[in-house]
Amino acid sequence: MTGNVPDKSLPLLKVQNLSKFYGKNMGCHDINFELAEGEVIGVVGESGSGKSTLLKCIAGKINTTNGSVFFNSLYGFVDLCQCDELLLRQLTRTQIGYVTQNSVDGLRMNISAGGNIGERLMANGMRNYSQIRKIALEWLEKVEIETNRIDDLPTTFSGGMQQRLQIAANLVTDPKIILMDEPTSGLDVSVQARLIDVLRKLVSRLRLSMILVTHDLAVARMLSHRLYVMKEGKIVESGLSDQILDDPREPYTQLLVSSVLKP
Amino acid sequence: MEAVLKIINISKDFVLHHQDGTRLQVLDHFSMEFFPGKITLLNGPSGAGKSTLLRMIYAGYRTCRGNIMVKHKDHFVDMVQASPATIYDIRLHTIGYVSQFLRVVPRVSALDTVIEPLIQRGVSESKAREKGRQILRRLRIPENLWHLSATTFSGGEQQRINLARGFIASYPIMLLDEPTASLDPDNRDTVLNLIKEAVRSGSCVIGVFHNQGDQEKIGGRAVDMTRKYFHPTEVEH
Repeated sequence: MTGNVPDKSLPLLKVQNLSKFYGKNMGCHDINFELAEGEVIGVVGESGSGKSTLLKCIAGKINTTNGSVFFNSLYGFVDLCQCDELLLRQLTRTQIGYVTQNSVDGLRMNISAGGNIGERLMANGMRNYSQIRKIALEWLEKVEIETNRIDDLPTTFSGGMQQRLQIAANLVTDPKIILMDEPTSGLDVSVQARLIDVLRKLVSRLRLSMILVTHDLAVARMLSHRLYVMKEGKIVESGLSDQILDDPREPYTQLLVSSVLKP
Repeated sequence: MEAVLKIINISKDFVLHHQDGTRLQVLDHFSMEFFPGKITLLNGPSGAGKSTLLRMIYAGYRTCRGNIMVKHKDHFVDMVQASPATIYDIRLHTIGYVSQFLRVVPRVSALDTVIEPLIQRGVSESKAREKGRQILRRLRIPENLWHLSATTFSGGEQQRINLARGFIASYPIMLLDEPTASLDPDNRDTVLNLIKEAVRSGSCVIGVFHNQGDQEKIGGRAVDMTRKYFHPTEVEH
Protein backbone atom coordinates (compact mmCIF):
# COMPACT_ATOMS: atom_id res chain seq x y z
CA MET A 1 0.00 0.00 0.00
CA THR A 2 1.51 3.27 -1.09
CA GLY A 3 0.06 6.72 -0.73
CA ASN A 4 -0.78 7.66 -4.29
CA VAL A 5 -2.91 9.99 -6.31
CA PRO A 6 -6.15 8.39 -7.62
CA ASP A 7 -6.20 7.65 -11.34
CA LYS A 8 -8.30 10.43 -12.91
CA SER A 9 -9.16 8.37 -15.98
CA LEU A 10 -11.15 5.95 -13.81
CA PRO A 11 -14.50 6.73 -12.22
CA LEU A 12 -14.57 7.38 -8.48
CA LEU A 13 -16.77 4.36 -7.94
CA LYS A 14 -17.66 1.45 -10.17
CA VAL A 15 -20.26 -1.08 -9.11
CA GLN A 16 -20.12 -4.25 -11.15
CA ASN A 17 -22.57 -7.17 -11.22
CA LEU A 18 -23.37 -6.58 -7.59
CA SER A 19 -25.83 -8.98 -5.96
CA LYS A 20 -26.92 -9.58 -2.41
CA PHE A 21 -29.14 -12.45 -1.35
CA TYR A 22 -30.50 -12.96 2.14
CA GLY A 23 -30.74 -16.74 2.08
CA LYS A 24 -33.11 -17.32 -0.82
CA ASN A 25 -34.45 -13.79 -0.79
CA MET A 26 -33.04 -11.28 -3.17
CA GLY A 27 -31.83 -7.99 -1.71
CA CYS A 28 -30.49 -6.56 -4.93
CA HIS A 29 -29.38 -8.25 -8.12
CA ASP A 30 -26.95 -7.55 -10.95
CA ILE A 31 -26.39 -3.87 -10.21
CA ASN A 32 -24.01 -1.98 -12.49
CA PHE A 33 -23.15 1.70 -12.47
CA GLU A 34 -20.36 4.24 -12.28
CA LEU A 35 -20.08 7.44 -10.30
CA ALA A 36 -17.80 10.31 -11.28
CA GLU A 37 -16.08 12.76 -8.98
CA GLY A 38 -18.46 15.53 -7.94
CA GLU A 39 -21.46 13.65 -9.25
CA VAL A 40 -24.64 12.98 -7.29
CA ILE A 41 -26.68 9.90 -8.04
CA GLY A 42 -30.15 9.35 -6.64
CA VAL A 43 -31.55 5.85 -6.14
CA VAL A 44 -35.35 5.86 -6.03
CA GLY A 45 -38.00 3.18 -5.68
CA GLU A 46 -40.53 1.98 -3.14
CA SER A 47 -39.76 0.37 0.23
CA GLY A 48 -38.27 -3.09 -0.17
CA SER A 49 -36.91 -2.42 -3.65
CA GLY A 50 -33.35 -3.05 -2.47
CA LYS A 51 -32.13 0.55 -2.33
CA SER A 52 -30.80 0.41 1.21
CA THR A 53 -29.30 -3.04 0.69
CA LEU A 54 -27.37 -1.68 -2.28
CA LEU A 55 -26.09 1.22 -0.23
CA LYS A 56 -25.03 -1.03 2.66
CA CYS A 57 -23.10 -3.22 0.23
CA ILE A 58 -21.25 -0.18 -1.11
CA ALA A 59 -20.58 1.08 2.41
CA GLY A 60 -19.08 -2.28 3.33
CA LYS A 61 -21.66 -2.71 6.10
CA ILE A 62 -22.82 -6.10 4.81
CA ASN A 63 -21.10 -8.79 2.80
CA THR A 64 -22.11 -9.03 -0.84
CA THR A 65 -23.07 -12.34 -2.42
CA ASN A 66 -21.54 -11.50 -5.78
CA GLY A 67 -19.87 -8.73 -7.69
CA SER A 68 -17.52 -5.86 -7.03
CA VAL A 69 -17.47 -2.30 -5.76
CA PHE A 70 -14.35 -0.62 -7.08
CA PHE A 71 -13.33 2.55 -5.28
CA ASN A 72 -10.74 4.89 -6.72
CA SER A 73 -8.83 5.51 -3.50
CA LEU A 74 -5.45 6.83 -2.54
CA TYR A 75 -4.41 3.17 -2.46
CA GLY A 76 -5.46 2.40 -6.03
CA PHE A 77 -8.64 1.04 -7.63
CA VAL A 78 -9.69 -1.15 -4.72
CA ASP A 79 -12.52 -3.70 -4.76
CA LEU A 80 -14.24 -3.07 -1.44
CA CYS A 81 -15.84 -6.54 -1.59
CA GLN A 82 -12.47 -8.26 -1.80
CA CYS A 83 -10.03 -6.08 0.07
CA ASP A 84 -8.81 -6.98 3.54
CA GLU A 85 -10.66 -5.93 6.66
CA LEU A 86 -8.02 -3.44 7.74
CA LEU A 87 -8.02 -1.50 4.47
CA LEU A 88 -11.84 -1.56 4.33
CA ARG A 89 -11.98 -0.11 7.83
CA GLN A 90 -9.42 2.51 6.94
CA LEU A 91 -11.37 3.53 3.82
CA THR A 92 -14.81 3.59 5.45
CA ARG A 93 -13.42 5.65 8.28
CA THR A 94 -11.82 8.30 6.15
CA GLN A 95 -12.72 8.39 2.46
CA ILE A 96 -16.29 7.08 2.52
CA GLY A 97 -19.07 8.60 4.58
CA TYR A 98 -22.30 6.79 5.38
CA VAL A 99 -25.32 8.58 6.81
CA THR A 100 -28.00 6.21 8.06
CA GLN A 101 -31.76 6.65 7.99
CA ASN A 102 -32.03 6.46 11.78
CA SER A 103 -29.47 8.64 13.45
CA VAL A 104 -29.41 6.16 16.37
CA ASP A 105 -27.56 3.78 14.03
CA GLY A 106 -25.07 6.38 12.85
CA LEU A 107 -24.37 8.32 16.04
CA ARG A 108 -23.16 7.30 19.46
CA MET A 109 -25.94 8.54 21.65
CA ASN A 110 -24.01 8.30 24.92
CA ILE A 111 -21.21 10.67 23.92
CA SER A 112 -21.45 14.40 23.22
CA ALA A 113 -22.02 16.01 19.82
CA GLY A 114 -18.40 17.16 19.78
CA GLY A 115 -17.31 13.65 20.72
CA ASN A 116 -19.24 12.19 17.80
CA ILE A 117 -17.41 14.48 15.39
CA GLY A 118 -14.06 14.03 17.12
CA GLU A 119 -14.26 10.27 17.17
CA ARG A 120 -13.56 9.91 13.46
CA LEU A 121 -10.65 12.32 13.72
CA MET A 122 -9.18 10.35 16.64
CA ALA A 123 -9.67 7.11 14.73
CA ASN A 124 -7.42 8.70 12.13
CA GLY A 125 -4.72 9.38 14.63
CA MET A 126 -5.42 12.95 15.65
CA ARG A 127 -4.63 13.38 19.35
CA ASN A 128 -4.52 17.12 19.97
CA TYR A 129 -7.66 17.71 22.03
CA SER A 130 -7.93 21.46 21.50
CA GLN A 131 -7.50 21.08 17.76
CA ILE A 132 -10.16 18.36 17.61
CA ARG A 133 -12.53 20.62 19.54
CA LYS A 134 -11.81 23.52 17.20
CA ILE A 135 -12.58 21.39 14.13
CA ALA A 136 -15.74 20.05 15.77
CA LEU A 137 -16.94 23.60 16.42
CA GLU A 138 -16.32 24.54 12.79
CA TRP A 139 -18.32 21.57 11.59
CA LEU A 140 -21.23 22.28 13.92
CA GLU A 141 -21.38 25.73 12.37
CA LYS A 142 -21.26 24.34 8.83
CA VAL A 143 -24.25 22.11 9.50
CA GLU A 144 -26.08 24.94 11.28
CA ILE A 145 -26.01 23.55 14.82
CA GLU A 146 -25.41 26.15 17.52
CA THR A 147 -21.86 25.78 18.76
CA ASN A 148 -22.89 26.00 22.43
CA ARG A 149 -24.48 22.55 21.99
CA ILE A 150 -21.07 20.91 21.50
CA ASP A 151 -21.06 19.21 24.90
CA ASP A 152 -24.69 18.05 24.76
CA LEU A 153 -25.68 14.48 24.06
CA PRO A 154 -27.34 13.80 20.68
CA THR A 155 -30.36 12.47 22.62
CA THR A 156 -31.16 16.09 23.48
CA PHE A 157 -31.20 17.03 19.75
CA SER A 158 -34.19 17.12 17.43
CA GLY A 159 -34.37 14.60 14.55
CA GLY A 160 -33.18 17.17 12.01
CA MET A 161 -30.25 18.22 14.21
CA GLN A 162 -29.25 14.60 14.72
CA GLN A 163 -29.15 14.08 10.95
CA ARG A 164 -27.06 17.20 10.47
CA LEU A 165 -24.72 16.02 13.25
CA GLN A 166 -24.35 12.70 11.43
CA ILE A 167 -23.41 14.58 8.27
CA ALA A 168 -20.79 16.61 10.15
CA ALA A 169 -19.37 13.49 11.82
CA ASN A 170 -19.01 11.89 8.37
CA LEU A 171 -17.59 14.85 6.48
CA VAL A 172 -15.00 15.83 9.08
CA THR A 173 -12.40 13.47 7.60
CA ASP A 174 -12.86 15.00 4.14
CA PRO A 175 -14.20 11.88 2.36
CA LYS A 176 -14.48 11.61 -1.43
CA ILE A 177 -17.92 10.14 -1.33
CA ILE A 178 -20.90 10.19 0.97
CA LEU A 179 -23.65 7.59 1.01
CA MET A 180 -27.04 8.76 2.25
CA ASP A 181 -29.82 6.42 3.23
CA GLU A 182 -33.18 8.26 3.31
CA PRO A 183 -31.68 11.22 5.19
CA THR A 184 -34.94 13.20 5.15
CA SER A 185 -37.50 10.56 5.97
CA GLY A 186 -39.27 11.04 9.28
CA LEU A 187 -38.47 14.75 9.36
CA ASP A 188 -40.96 17.62 9.18
CA VAL A 189 -41.03 19.34 5.81
CA SER A 190 -39.51 22.57 7.12
CA VAL A 191 -36.73 20.60 8.80
CA GLN A 192 -36.21 18.64 5.57
CA ALA A 193 -35.72 21.87 3.61
CA ARG A 194 -32.93 22.93 5.94
CA LEU A 195 -31.19 19.56 5.75
CA ILE A 196 -31.40 19.55 1.96
CA ASP A 197 -30.06 23.08 1.79
CA VAL A 198 -27.11 22.21 4.05
CA LEU A 199 -26.41 19.12 1.96
CA ARG A 200 -26.67 20.96 -1.35
CA LYS A 201 -24.18 23.61 -0.25
CA LEU A 202 -21.67 21.13 1.19
CA VAL A 203 -21.82 18.84 -1.83
CA SER A 204 -21.11 21.64 -4.29
CA ARG A 205 -18.54 23.43 -2.11
CA LEU A 206 -16.54 20.29 -1.34
CA ARG A 207 -17.08 18.76 -4.82
CA LEU A 208 -18.35 15.67 -3.04
CA SER A 209 -19.74 12.66 -4.81
CA MET A 210 -22.92 11.32 -3.30
CA ILE A 211 -25.25 8.39 -3.61
CA LEU A 212 -28.61 9.39 -2.23
CA VAL A 213 -31.21 6.74 -1.51
CA THR A 214 -34.64 8.28 -1.18
CA HIS A 215 -38.25 7.67 -1.99
CA ASP A 216 -38.89 11.40 -2.23
CA LEU A 217 -38.72 12.32 -5.92
CA ALA A 218 -38.63 16.07 -5.28
CA VAL A 219 -35.59 15.65 -3.03
CA ALA A 220 -34.03 13.36 -5.63
CA ARG A 221 -34.52 15.94 -8.40
CA MET A 222 -33.15 18.80 -6.37
CA LEU A 223 -29.95 17.04 -5.38
CA SER A 224 -29.11 14.47 -8.06
CA HIS A 225 -27.57 14.71 -11.50
CA ARG A 226 -28.71 11.22 -12.43
CA LEU A 227 -31.29 8.78 -11.12
CA TYR A 228 -31.55 5.02 -10.89
CA VAL A 229 -34.98 3.50 -10.42
CA MET A 230 -35.08 0.22 -8.49
CA LYS A 231 -37.83 -2.35 -8.30
CA GLU A 232 -37.67 -5.79 -6.69
CA GLY A 233 -33.91 -5.63 -6.28
CA LYS A 234 -33.09 -4.59 -9.84
CA ILE A 235 -32.43 -1.35 -11.66
CA VAL A 236 -35.31 -0.88 -14.09
CA GLU A 237 -34.39 2.51 -15.54
CA SER A 238 -31.63 5.09 -15.34
CA GLY A 239 -30.81 8.44 -16.85
CA LEU A 240 -30.38 12.14 -16.14
CA SER A 241 -32.74 13.28 -13.40
CA ASP A 242 -34.95 15.30 -15.76
CA GLN A 243 -35.08 12.39 -18.23
CA ILE A 244 -36.35 10.02 -15.55
CA LEU A 245 -38.82 12.42 -13.94
CA ASP A 246 -40.10 14.27 -17.03
CA ASP A 247 -39.83 11.52 -19.63
CA PRO A 248 -40.12 8.19 -17.80
CA ARG A 249 -40.15 5.17 -20.11
CA GLU A 250 -40.63 2.08 -18.04
CA PRO A 251 -44.10 1.21 -16.75
CA TYR A 252 -42.86 1.17 -13.15
CA THR A 253 -41.16 4.58 -13.43
CA GLN A 254 -44.27 6.05 -15.04
CA LEU A 255 -46.33 4.73 -12.15
CA LEU A 256 -43.88 6.11 -9.59
CA VAL A 257 -43.75 9.57 -11.17
CA SER A 258 -47.48 9.84 -11.80
CA SER A 259 -48.34 8.78 -8.24
CA VAL A 260 -46.76 11.83 -6.65
CA LEU A 261 -49.05 14.66 -5.61
CA LYS A 262 -47.71 18.03 -6.68
CA PRO A 263 -48.41 20.60 -3.98
CA MET B 1 -22.33 30.36 -42.17
CA GLU B 2 -21.95 27.12 -40.28
CA ALA B 3 -24.81 25.76 -38.18
CA VAL B 4 -24.34 25.45 -34.41
CA LEU B 5 -27.11 22.89 -34.11
CA LYS B 6 -28.05 20.21 -36.61
CA ILE B 7 -31.09 18.10 -35.96
CA ILE B 8 -31.09 15.03 -38.15
CA ASN B 9 -34.12 12.82 -38.61
CA ILE B 10 -35.29 12.73 -35.03
CA SER B 11 -38.46 11.02 -33.87
CA LYS B 12 -40.15 11.02 -30.52
CA ASP B 13 -43.05 9.01 -29.25
CA PHE B 14 -44.42 8.63 -25.76
CA VAL B 15 -45.87 5.29 -24.66
CA LEU B 16 -48.28 5.68 -21.74
CA HIS B 17 -48.13 2.24 -20.17
CA HIS B 18 -50.85 2.92 -17.63
CA GLN B 19 -53.27 4.50 -20.07
CA ASP B 20 -53.96 1.50 -22.30
CA GLY B 21 -50.45 1.65 -23.70
CA THR B 22 -51.40 4.70 -25.76
CA ARG B 23 -48.63 5.73 -28.12
CA LEU B 24 -48.30 9.42 -28.93
CA GLN B 25 -46.12 10.22 -31.91
CA VAL B 26 -44.98 13.80 -31.34
CA LEU B 27 -42.11 14.17 -33.79
CA ASP B 28 -41.58 12.15 -36.94
CA HIS B 29 -38.36 12.41 -38.90
CA PHE B 30 -37.74 16.03 -37.98
CA SER B 31 -34.62 17.59 -39.45
CA MET B 32 -33.46 21.19 -39.25
CA GLU B 33 -30.34 23.33 -38.93
CA PHE B 34 -29.94 26.32 -36.65
CA PHE B 35 -27.46 29.16 -37.06
CA PRO B 36 -25.61 31.61 -34.80
CA GLY B 37 -27.13 35.06 -34.49
CA LYS B 38 -30.49 33.82 -35.79
CA ILE B 39 -33.81 33.28 -34.09
CA THR B 40 -36.32 30.53 -34.78
CA LEU B 41 -39.89 30.61 -33.53
CA LEU B 42 -41.66 27.31 -33.00
CA ASN B 43 -45.36 27.71 -33.72
CA GLY B 44 -48.42 25.53 -33.40
CA PRO B 45 -51.11 24.64 -30.88
CA SER B 46 -50.46 22.86 -27.57
CA GLY B 47 -49.38 19.30 -28.18
CA ALA B 48 -47.71 20.08 -31.51
CA GLY B 49 -44.30 19.21 -30.04
CA LYS B 50 -42.77 22.64 -29.48
CA SER B 51 -41.68 22.08 -25.87
CA THR B 52 -40.82 18.48 -26.65
CA LEU B 53 -38.35 19.61 -29.32
CA LEU B 54 -36.72 22.11 -26.92
CA ARG B 55 -36.43 19.47 -24.20
CA MET B 56 -34.95 16.95 -26.62
CA ILE B 57 -32.29 19.45 -27.67
CA TYR B 58 -31.49 19.96 -23.98
CA ALA B 59 -31.52 16.16 -23.47
CA GLY B 60 -34.17 16.50 -20.77
CA TYR B 61 -36.29 14.23 -22.96
CA ARG B 62 -34.69 11.23 -24.57
CA THR B 63 -34.64 10.91 -28.33
CA CYS B 64 -35.89 7.63 -29.81
CA ARG B 65 -34.28 7.95 -33.22
CA GLY B 66 -31.98 10.41 -34.97
CA ASN B 67 -29.16 12.73 -33.97
CA ILE B 68 -28.93 16.14 -32.34
CA MET B 69 -25.52 17.53 -33.20
CA VAL B 70 -24.47 20.46 -31.02
CA LYS B 71 -21.36 22.53 -31.59
CA HIS B 72 -19.68 22.42 -28.19
CA LYS B 73 -16.23 23.93 -27.70
CA ASP B 74 -15.49 23.74 -31.45
CA HIS B 75 -16.60 20.12 -31.87
CA PHE B 76 -19.92 18.61 -32.75
CA VAL B 77 -21.40 16.38 -30.06
CA ASP B 78 -24.50 14.21 -30.46
CA MET B 79 -26.79 14.99 -27.52
CA VAL B 80 -28.56 11.68 -28.13
CA GLN B 81 -25.46 9.67 -27.30
CA ALA B 82 -23.35 12.02 -25.20
CA SER B 83 -22.11 10.85 -21.79
CA PRO B 84 -23.67 12.42 -18.68
CA ALA B 85 -20.45 14.36 -17.99
CA THR B 86 -20.52 15.85 -21.51
CA ILE B 87 -24.18 16.81 -21.15
CA TYR B 88 -23.48 18.56 -17.81
CA ASP B 89 -20.70 20.50 -19.53
CA ILE B 90 -22.88 21.40 -22.52
CA ARG B 91 -25.62 22.64 -20.18
CA LEU B 92 -23.06 24.70 -18.30
CA HIS B 93 -21.43 26.37 -21.29
CA THR B 94 -23.26 25.83 -24.57
CA ILE B 95 -27.02 25.43 -24.20
CA GLY B 96 -29.14 27.62 -21.95
CA TYR B 97 -32.74 26.70 -21.29
CA VAL B 98 -35.41 28.92 -19.80
CA SER B 99 -38.40 26.88 -18.75
CA GLN B 100 -41.92 28.12 -18.35
CA PHE B 101 -41.76 27.96 -14.57
CA LEU B 102 -39.05 28.52 -12.00
CA ARG B 103 -38.16 25.50 -9.93
CA VAL B 104 -37.78 27.27 -6.59
CA VAL B 105 -35.48 25.95 -3.93
CA PRO B 106 -36.55 26.81 -0.39
CA ARG B 107 -34.10 28.85 1.68
CA VAL B 108 -32.04 29.98 -1.31
CA SER B 109 -32.25 33.73 -1.96
CA ALA B 110 -33.49 35.11 -5.28
CA LEU B 111 -30.05 36.64 -5.93
CA ASP B 112 -28.27 33.34 -5.25
CA THR B 113 -30.74 31.52 -7.52
CA VAL B 114 -29.99 33.98 -10.31
CA ILE B 115 -26.18 33.89 -10.06
CA GLU B 116 -25.86 30.11 -9.78
CA PRO B 117 -24.96 29.55 -13.48
CA LEU B 118 -22.06 32.02 -13.15
CA ILE B 119 -20.84 30.49 -9.88
CA GLN B 120 -20.87 27.07 -11.53
CA ARG B 121 -18.72 28.49 -14.33
CA GLY B 122 -16.19 29.58 -11.73
CA VAL B 123 -16.94 33.32 -11.81
CA SER B 124 -16.03 35.00 -8.52
CA GLU B 125 -18.84 35.54 -6.03
CA SER B 126 -18.45 39.35 -6.08
CA LYS B 127 -18.51 39.62 -9.88
CA ALA B 128 -21.47 37.26 -10.11
CA ARG B 129 -23.39 39.24 -7.50
CA GLU B 130 -22.74 42.49 -9.31
CA LYS B 131 -24.09 41.02 -12.54
CA GLY B 132 -27.00 39.50 -10.64
CA ARG B 133 -27.96 42.87 -9.14
CA GLN B 134 -27.83 44.49 -12.59
CA ILE B 135 -30.15 42.00 -14.22
CA LEU B 136 -32.56 41.93 -11.28
CA ARG B 137 -32.74 45.72 -11.46
CA ARG B 138 -33.33 45.56 -15.19
CA LEU B 139 -36.18 43.10 -14.70
CA ARG B 140 -37.67 45.39 -12.03
CA ILE B 141 -37.41 43.01 -9.06
CA PRO B 142 -37.58 45.31 -6.01
CA GLU B 143 -34.31 45.35 -4.10
CA ASN B 144 -35.95 44.36 -0.81
CA LEU B 145 -36.84 40.97 -2.33
CA TRP B 146 -33.34 39.99 -3.51
CA HIS B 147 -32.30 38.30 -0.30
CA LEU B 148 -35.57 36.36 0.07
CA SER B 149 -36.32 32.90 -1.27
CA ALA B 150 -38.47 33.04 -4.39
CA THR B 151 -40.90 30.49 -2.89
CA THR B 152 -43.25 33.26 -1.78
CA PHE B 153 -42.97 35.40 -4.95
CA SER B 154 -45.87 35.96 -7.35
CA GLY B 155 -45.99 34.02 -10.63
CA GLY B 156 -44.70 36.97 -12.63
CA GLU B 157 -41.86 37.64 -10.18
CA GLN B 158 -40.82 34.00 -10.21
CA GLN B 159 -40.76 34.02 -13.99
CA ARG B 160 -38.54 37.10 -13.97
CA ILE B 161 -36.15 35.38 -11.54
CA ASN B 162 -36.14 32.46 -13.94
CA LEU B 163 -35.34 34.77 -16.88
CA ALA B 164 -32.64 36.60 -14.92
CA ARG B 165 -31.06 33.22 -14.20
CA GLY B 166 -31.36 32.22 -17.85
CA PHE B 167 -29.86 35.42 -19.26
CA ILE B 168 -27.14 36.15 -16.69
CA ALA B 169 -24.67 33.97 -18.56
CA SER B 170 -24.41 33.92 -22.34
CA TYR B 171 -24.81 30.70 -24.27
CA PRO B 172 -24.20 29.94 -27.97
CA ILE B 173 -27.63 28.25 -28.03
CA MET B 174 -30.64 29.43 -26.03
CA LEU B 175 -33.92 27.56 -25.71
CA LEU B 176 -36.86 29.63 -24.49
CA ASP B 177 -40.14 27.96 -23.57
CA GLU B 178 -42.80 30.68 -23.39
CA PRO B 179 -40.55 33.13 -21.55
CA THR B 180 -42.98 36.06 -21.87
CA ALA B 181 -46.11 34.35 -20.54
CA SER B 182 -47.30 35.90 -17.25
CA LEU B 183 -45.34 39.13 -17.72
CA ASP B 184 -46.70 42.70 -17.72
CA PRO B 185 -46.04 44.86 -20.84
CA ASP B 186 -42.97 46.67 -19.47
CA ASN B 187 -41.20 43.51 -18.41
CA ARG B 188 -42.27 41.83 -21.62
CA ASP B 189 -40.41 44.53 -23.57
CA THR B 190 -37.36 44.13 -21.34
CA VAL B 191 -37.31 40.40 -22.01
CA LEU B 192 -37.72 40.91 -25.75
CA ASN B 193 -34.75 43.28 -25.60
CA LEU B 194 -32.68 40.72 -23.68
CA ILE B 195 -33.48 38.18 -26.39
CA LYS B 196 -32.54 40.58 -29.19
CA GLU B 197 -29.26 41.43 -27.44
CA ALA B 198 -28.45 37.73 -27.13
CA VAL B 199 -29.10 37.23 -30.86
CA ARG B 200 -27.05 40.29 -31.76
CA SER B 201 -24.12 38.95 -29.76
CA GLY B 202 -24.28 35.74 -31.79
CA SER B 203 -26.53 33.37 -29.84
CA CYS B 204 -28.76 30.98 -31.71
CA VAL B 205 -32.20 31.39 -30.11
CA ILE B 206 -35.03 28.89 -30.45
CA GLY B 207 -38.22 29.94 -28.74
CA VAL B 208 -41.90 29.35 -28.18
CA PHE B 209 -44.03 32.51 -27.98
CA HIS B 210 -47.79 32.32 -27.98
CA ASN B 211 -48.27 36.07 -28.11
CA GLN B 212 -48.60 37.26 -31.73
CA GLY B 213 -47.26 40.72 -30.86
CA ASP B 214 -44.12 39.25 -29.31
CA GLN B 215 -43.56 37.12 -32.38
CA GLU B 216 -43.75 40.15 -34.65
CA LYS B 217 -41.39 42.17 -32.46
CA ILE B 218 -38.83 39.37 -32.42
CA GLY B 219 -38.98 38.46 -36.09
CA GLY B 220 -36.84 35.57 -37.31
CA ARG B 221 -37.98 32.46 -39.11
CA ALA B 222 -41.13 30.65 -38.03
CA VAL B 223 -41.57 26.90 -38.06
CA ASP B 224 -45.04 25.37 -38.11
CA MET B 225 -44.76 22.36 -35.82
CA THR B 226 -48.12 20.89 -36.83
CA ARG B 227 -46.56 19.69 -40.08
CA LYS B 228 -44.79 16.86 -38.18
CA TYR B 229 -42.61 15.92 -41.11
CA PHE B 230 -39.75 18.10 -42.28
CA HIS B 231 -37.35 17.22 -45.00
CA PRO B 232 -33.86 18.56 -44.38
CA THR B 233 -33.50 20.17 -47.81
CA GLU B 234 -36.70 22.19 -47.79
CA VAL B 235 -35.91 24.36 -44.80
CA GLU B 236 -34.67 27.81 -45.69
CA HIS B 237 -32.22 29.56 -43.41
